[in-house]
Amino acid sequence: MFWSVIAANRRKTVLLIVLMGLLLVLSGGMIGMAFTDVYHPFAGLIGAALAGAVWIAMLLMSLFASDTILLGLSRAHEVSRETYPQLFNVVEEMVIAGALPAMPRIFVVDDPAPNAFAMGKSPEKSCICVTAGLLAMCTRDELQGVVAHEISHILNQDVLYMTVAATMLGSILLLSDIFTRSFRYTSTVRLASRSRRAGGRAAGPLLIVSLVLAVIGPILARVLYFSLSRKREYLADATSARLTRYPEGLASALQKIGESADTLTTAPSATAPFYIVNPYRQHLGNSAFATHPPLEERIRILRAMSLGAGYLDYHRAYVEVTRRREKLFPASELQDVGRVGIREDGQTSAPVRPARTESARRAGDIIRALNGFAFITCPCGLKIKLPPEYREARFVCPRCRRAHLVNRPDGKAVCSVLSGSAVMSRQASAGRAEPLNRSGRGGRDAPMPQEVCYQPGAWQKITCAGCGHEYEISPRFRARRMVCSGCGATIRLAPVHEPDDRSSGIQT
Amino acid sequence: MSTGTVVFIILTGAVLAVLLYIVFAYNALVALKNQIKNAWSQIEVQLKRRHDLIPNLVEAAKGYMAHERQTLENVTRARAQASGAKTVPDISRAETALSSALGQFLAVVENYPELKANQNFLALQEELTSTENRIAFSRQAYNDQVLFMNNKVEMFPSNMVAGMFHFRKGQFFELEEQSGRAAPRVSFG
Repeated sequence: MFWSVIAANRRKTVLLIVLMGLLLVLSGGMIGMAFTDVYHPFAGLIGAALAGAVWIAMLLMSLFASDTILLGLSRAHEVSRETYPQLFNVVEEMVIAGALPAMPRIFVVDDPAPNAFAMGKSPEKSCICVTAGLLAMCTRDELQGVVAHEISHILNQDVLYMTVAATMLGSILLLSDIFTRSFRYTSTVRLASRSRRAGGRAAGPLLIVSLVLAVIGPILARVLYFSLSRKREYLADATSARLTRYPEGLASALQKIGESADTLTTAPSATAPFYIVNPYRQHLGNSAFATHPPLEERIRILRAMSLGAGYLDYHRAYVEVTRRREKLFPASELQDVGRVGIREDGQTSAPVRPARTESARRAGDIIRALNGFAFITCPCGLKIKLPPEYREARFVCPRCRRAHLVNRPDGKAVCSVLSGSAVMSRQASAGRAEPLNRSGRGGRDAPMPQEVCYQPGAWQKITCAGCGHEYEISPRFRARRMVCSGCGATIRLAPVHEPDDRSSGIQT
Repeated sequence: MSTGTVVFIILTGAVLAVLLYIVFAYNALVALKNQIKNAWSQIEVQLKRRHDLIPNLVEAAKGYMAHERQTLENVTRARAQASGAKTVPDISRAETALSSALGQFLAVVENYPELKANQNFLALQEELTSTENRIAFSRQAYNDQVLFMNNKVEMFPSNMVAGMFHFRKGQFFELEEQSGRAAPRVSFG
């Protein structure tokens, strides 16, 4: 049930916000004490109260005016069912799936960059905004995934929490800015003299503490804020998969969004956490100052959900992909395995509008094939086109770092190395390994031993060259060879490491 | 304080706690029951929407599909049966039949390019796709609620409260066949 997930998440969020509030009050208090007489009993209190007042003013301002201002800033216009029937249908479907109390208002931004965001402080009054670019390039299923992500933001009341957190961050930044500036320009002498007058005992250390707080506070507040934002993105992704029962829809939508070259020109920076992907494309990777988790990671988590679309499945995929053991959801949600099945892929697999690039790409491929290019389709979806000049036996996918064998038709760069020592008989499949060339039994029809390059630490597909049986090799598989259960052939797994063979290069 | 008063206070506290728990559990169960009712009415709304949509769809297709009377009649008949069904198992069965009839219909549509190019029909088809999705999603929401309720009714300690006030387990709304579960595959090729 996503209600309990939402409730648990709310508790965590409130805790984080309280932490930020403490930071705010503390820095306010410290600044107050540093500026006024240190031994005045209310100095700290006055500072803290001022900090609180700044925050409340900012909060009220953003709560009452944010929707209209932000929608206006991003140049969104409200649309009707007549002009965008499919968008309306998809939103309505997700409203039903998420049991949202009211239908959100729907806005479209006329921008070719694909993106989407949600607004609204409560599930009763909310808006969903998508760009024209998103509508143009997504299939129905992908659009559904994106809309479900936005609906989850509304269900989780992310906008409210993120607004509260953002204004706190803003006021902490403002306070520390005021403090450091005035400190730098004017008050060094005054503070020092006052502390001397006061006896010179406590003011010095206090001054240092408040200085440190003025420097550390904003950084800490930012880290808190962005970690909150990223957690909520993961939760929205998980809820999207849960609502649509189809993680692939959101995954391929995110991929398309990531691959698009356009960036949103109209996004105000304060709204960045509300977009489905950060419109500013920080290339910070998994840094502590990113509003969104890295796009590739989100896609890989969604694609790793092979068993089901529930929270447990997302959690497992999350642990598998990120290798972080943190809990995104309460334990009560992580019990029923595979109960939430994945539905079949969608109804309309054709894009909403036929992509013109696709046919151009196909024509280019035909010409490349004539010119001796080699084509590899990576399981991650990337189509690799290798020019005839490429003579290496192996190619590492630039997107997912999988190693591929390059099978040239002319046989010059075929990587299927046979090694006599690895020849095993059929009995190997029964557990009794015995070198074939010693007994000679069944030597004629003994399947060819194969060597396959693989990369440890990631899921990958291996096809037995003898019988065509396909294997999925788990990242935890550590053995160096395996026996095909179909034909009994031995498959040697040659681990391929990333091209950091610098050490060997030095030796030779 | 004598030991007597201490024991008395502890006992009263315990009884109060139990009473409070009963009140809360009862209220939670009632809320759940109403949510289930609400979710079911949502399914009914969507099924009704589908029933309303089908005559339009058949009407739009008729002019183009002269040789497919059988398919069209199947859809119409399945629709009539589905709108006549009353109990949850009956509705499940009839809707499953209707879904498969619709699936066949949409498969046949593939053979009629003029029909597929018809703007009116395309709009209806999008509506049908959406309606199938809505049925699936409202069913999903309903079944989630029923599962939640059934867990409450069966698990300790809420099962005692449920038994006291005669809360019964809800019935899942299942569509038996795989074809009924997935929305019919429609592609514009």
